Amino acid sequence: MITSCKEPFTVKESLDSVNLFIRKWFVNKYKEPTPPQRYSFKLIKEGKNVLITAPTGSGKTFSAFMSILSDLMNMSLSSKLEDKIYCIYVSPLRALNNDIYRNLTVPLDEIYGDITIPIKKISIGIRTGDTPQSERQKQLRKPPNILVTTPESLAILINSPKFMENMKDLKYVIIDELHELANNKRGVHLSLSIERLVNLIGHDFTRIGMGATLYPLDEAARFVAGYDGNEERDCFIVDATWDKKLDFTAISPVKDMVNASDTVVDNAIYKLIDQTIKKNNTTLVFTNTRSGTERVVYNLVKRFKYSDEHIAAHHGSLSREIRLGVEDLLKKGKLKCAVSSTSLELGIDIGSIDNVIQIGSPKSVARAVQRIGRSGHSFRDVARGEVIVTNRDDLVECSVMLDAAKKHHMDSFTTPKNALDVLAQHLVGMSQNKKWTVDEAFYTIRNSYPYHNLERKDLISLLEYLSGMYVGLESRRVYAKIWYEPSDGTFGRRGKLTRLIYYLNIGTIPDEVAIDVMTRENKWIGSIEEEFLSRLKPGDIFALAGKTYRFEYSRVMKCYVSPAPGEVPTIPPWYSEQLPLTYELAINIGKFREQMASAVSHSLPRGKSALLLLGKGSMKPNEQARKILNSMPLNENAKFSIYNYFAEQLLFAGHVPNDKMILVEYTEDKEGERNLIIFHSLFGRRINDALSRLFAIALGEMYPIDVGVNVTDNGFVLVAPLTTKIRKENITELIRNTLGMDMRLTLTHNIRRTEMMKRRFRYCAARSFMILRNYKGKKISVRRQQVNSQLILKAAEEISKDFPIIKETYREIFEDLMDLPRAERILKGMRNGEISYKIISTQVPSPFSHTMITFGEADVIMMKDRRRHIRELHKLVLSKIKKT
Amino acid sequence: MKLDKDVEILDGLPLLYIRSLSAMVCSDLHLGYEGVMANRGVFLPKANLKRIKEIIKKGVGICHPKILIVNGDIKNEFSEVHVEEFNEFREFANFLKADAKIERLILIKGNHDNFIDRLKEPLGFEMHSQEVLMGKYLFFHGEELPRHGDDAFLVMGHVHPSISIYNKTGPKEKLQCFLYGTDRKGRKIIVIPAMNFFADGFSVNTERNIGKLAPIFAKDLDIDGMEAFCIGEGEILDFGDIGSLHNIEV
Repeated sequence: MITSCKEPFTVKESLDSVNLFIRKWFVNKYKEPTPPQRYSFKLIKEGKNVLITAPTGSGKTFSAFMSILSDLMNMSLSSKLEDKIYCIYVSPLRALNNDIYRNLTVPLDEIYGDITIPIKKISIGIRTGDTPQSERQKQLRKPPNILVTTPESLAILINSPKFMENMKDLKYVIIDELHELANNKRGVHLSLSIERLVNLIGHDFTRIGMGATLYPLDEAARFVAGYDGNEERDCFIVDATWDKKLDFTAISPVKDMVNASDTVVDNAIYKLIDQTIKKNNTTLVFTNTRSGTERVVYNLVKRFKYSDEHIAAHHGSLSREIRLGVEDLLKKGKLKCAVSSTSLELGIDIGSIDNVIQIGSPKSVARAVQRIGRSGHSFRDVARGEVIVTNRDDLVECSVMLDAAKKHHMDSFTTPKNALDVLAQHLVGMSQNKKWTVDEAFYTIRNSYPYHNLERKDLISLLEYLSGMYVGLESRRVYAKIWYEPSDGTFGRRGKLTRLIYYLNIGTIPDEVAIDVMTRENKWIGSIEEEFLSRLKPGDIFALAGKTYRFEYSRVMKCYVSPAPGEVPTIPPWYSEQLPLTYELAINIGKFREQMASAVSHSLPRGKSALLLLGKGSMKPNEQARKILNSMPLNENAKFSIYNYFAEQLLFAGHVPNDKMILVEYTEDKEGERNLIIFHSLFGRRINDALSRLFAIALGEMYPIDVGVNVTDNGFVLVAPLTTKIRKENITELIRNTLGMDMRLTLTHNIRRTEMMKRRFRYCAARSFMILRNYKGKKISVRRQQVNSQLILKAAEEISKDFPIIKETYREIFEDLMDLPRAERILKGMRNGEISYKIISTQVPSPFSHTMITFGEADVIMMKDRRRHIRELHKLVLSKIKKT
Repeated sequence: MKLDKDVEILDGLPLLYIRSLSAMVCSDLHLGYEGVMANRGVFLPKANLKRIKEIIKKGVGICHPKILIVNGDIKNEFSEVHVEEFNEFREFANFLKADAKIERLILIKGNHDNFIDRLKEPLGFEMHSQEVLMGKYLFFHGEELPRHGDDAFLVMGHVHPSISIYNKTGPKEKLQCFLYGTDRKGRKIIVIPAMNFFADGFSVNTERNIGKLAPIFAKDLDIDGMEAFCIGEGEILDFGDIGSLHNIEV
């Protein structure tokens, strides 16, 4: 059962539950327990599974470790502490592991300083990919009592029989930064490792999950605790998310966000950032993309003459040395400002931050709270943050987001369920341990929360794949990684090389996607996404690591560039790296739109004179709107701009779309070259991605054309050549046709040919050990890995359309990348009238659609017929050649 | 698509047919590729040989040739004959005799075709090192310059030609193609695309240094002057000369 803790234990109860020496040290140092600690000390002492969510600086480490140290200390005092592993701590970051190691050894030294009698000391060890061989050997001979590790290293350790001998008496497993794990395949991987651990040592242990905000909490608790057969294991939830006070505001940098030009907005944003940096000792700026980070640093340096000593970028594409350097400067308080995409939002120790600036919407309430929570010196301080909005839709989004944060309305996470690629990896690992029956394996796997609903037939299909049943008998020698005997349902290890394959290829993060960017002198600059490279043409300029470069040529996994200082990038930032808006937030924005539109319409000017107000940004908020806006954490500019934005949409189009009403607008683009059909469906990009494809396919079936699609969080745009005149009755027909389609079936067919499918398939193939990165002890040259993924996919389809890796690719796309289940629900809502739609025709796109047209991710829904597509391409090329 | 009275590109296939020789020509099969790749840690499902058989079958159905000429690289591994290669080679040879009714299999040895001499007897094929002159046609693989045939019609493989078309709204697209033109000595030359299932080709309109790959382009042949005949679905499409296709974007 999952239990939410409501009443903390008293300070006395909490402190009484821990060992005397540790208690004395703790009281001396901290006086009394923080709110989460007043739950956790006693719960963990009693051996309960616990989920603790709390902001940075709330004593989270000791919330988890206090009672464990106390237990170990008691064992040591009664001479029962042996050289065995009693506690495993797992975090997704190596950097965090080093912090934790320090945060435990220093207090322990202090505690032992007070103890005069000779006792066996509690030992702590780190085990990550960086741990040297000598240290590993030492750990094997004399295992630490507390082992600090990563999910990948843990997965390797559980396959080492010798090491497992030391884990027989394991009592505690701690998972830190749960919010960075529970929503992705890395966490899924870890969850399976933990259940395998239970199976291997033959008993359960106390599980402790820690993290920042992670809702719904009971799902997170289930992730931590898992199942025992059909029973869900008990878990207690300690939610201290809101114990640190937050002070935040959505800032519109200009008075009239609706009509201000990009340059004016840009200038105002950078001025605001500059002012904040100058006012504070240390400012942390978050952007939403790596390229955004690059752009901000580039502009601050260029505009305000900051030097490298004052300001630095920190993101995942930068080398480890650069990142560590930045973290170090932050800790020492030497940096005025650090700009980061996501890499600094995790719990790495970065010293004290005075102020957080978030540029543009971070797309989820939880992330906003997490990022702003990085400021403030301690738990008792108020964390200060500003969200500076970049355009009008961003303005509305951030306003609603911060309002939700104020009201503690959080969005939810989802865990990838039944991921077959991750399971394939573990099956290879499991078969190395011993001979399994399918029944026992099925039981163990289903105890893991992400696999609780796994179907037996999927497990079987993986066993068939891994045992090489998809190739002829004579080739199985090379292909098979396990043996599987269907007649009695057993499987086990096969081949000498398999153990090595498991060790060297473990993990869920596809590493082959990064394309190295090099100068022509072979100096490494950074990396870009493979998909970004596929759009680069020789001569294109793009920004990386704060500088601009000209693309020269590419060789396999390398991209060669020459410096192009001062040149304007010709390739826009890469949108797919942007995070999608969460569904809950999208619905909240929809509700706000409805409320706001009704308030604005009370005093909307009418008649011809009203139209003159368009584009002026001069309407003063009326009383009804004031009332709503004043209750939200916004600056005056923001209130004014929101009012004008809504008023202009109402004056222009007569309708403001909301969560229960989709506005469908058909119009032409500026150049008068193309039809635009704009769907104002504010449900977030994951849902719109699915919806837009379906509508585009339906349109493509009505007319023999390639349909362009622009997808954003706020809606999507279908782009069609003007050769076909589109009228209202055509739109009605389009919607009718679309509502009659089977979404999953249609999309499965359509997605097959997209770039996304090819790329995702390769990730899945790598995770399922179909494409190895390391083999026979050798790193496989990327050139050999780089067999065209589409062709591998085609080859896999030759075997069966239900090949488990293909199945997983679709699952990943439909459930992790898109949100097909919710998209289907919206379609159903449209069918039964719960969600209505209005079709309008406009001369030019209405105000609410502008960002949808300019931003957004473009994709082309190919015409069904490949023959026609190649012919079309042929025609285009020939006409292009003739023109030049 | 007919190039002249005697030479034809079979519609939608990477195959050339020469009437006067009753010969169908293909290139770069790389048999056993999946097995070789599996040995290196990329466990490709097997698809190459199956697809090659389908293509040959279609080609045979159209032109009923007596001879099949493989213009180099019938197998993949440089250093040995891998067991997977041998198995597939044998299956392929049997298929040609039994199903495709091919009377003669002629092999031009390519850079990947080492150590296959000893298979000549058991599998029953003819083999020529680097090149062979048949009628007025000189078949050569391409990683070396042709030594003979000063006034021959050259037929080459090796480079796996394709063209890339950049797309304003999406990633670039790659199409396999034949290259057709005249060299500086006035000889007609055609380059045949790879038949290997897993080869997506060397992009001749965007990549540089084709001369390094095949010396004839460094010496006697201007790639820009050659015409690209792309393989569509069931048809061949003329995309014009490579010179006009440099980094083309639509």
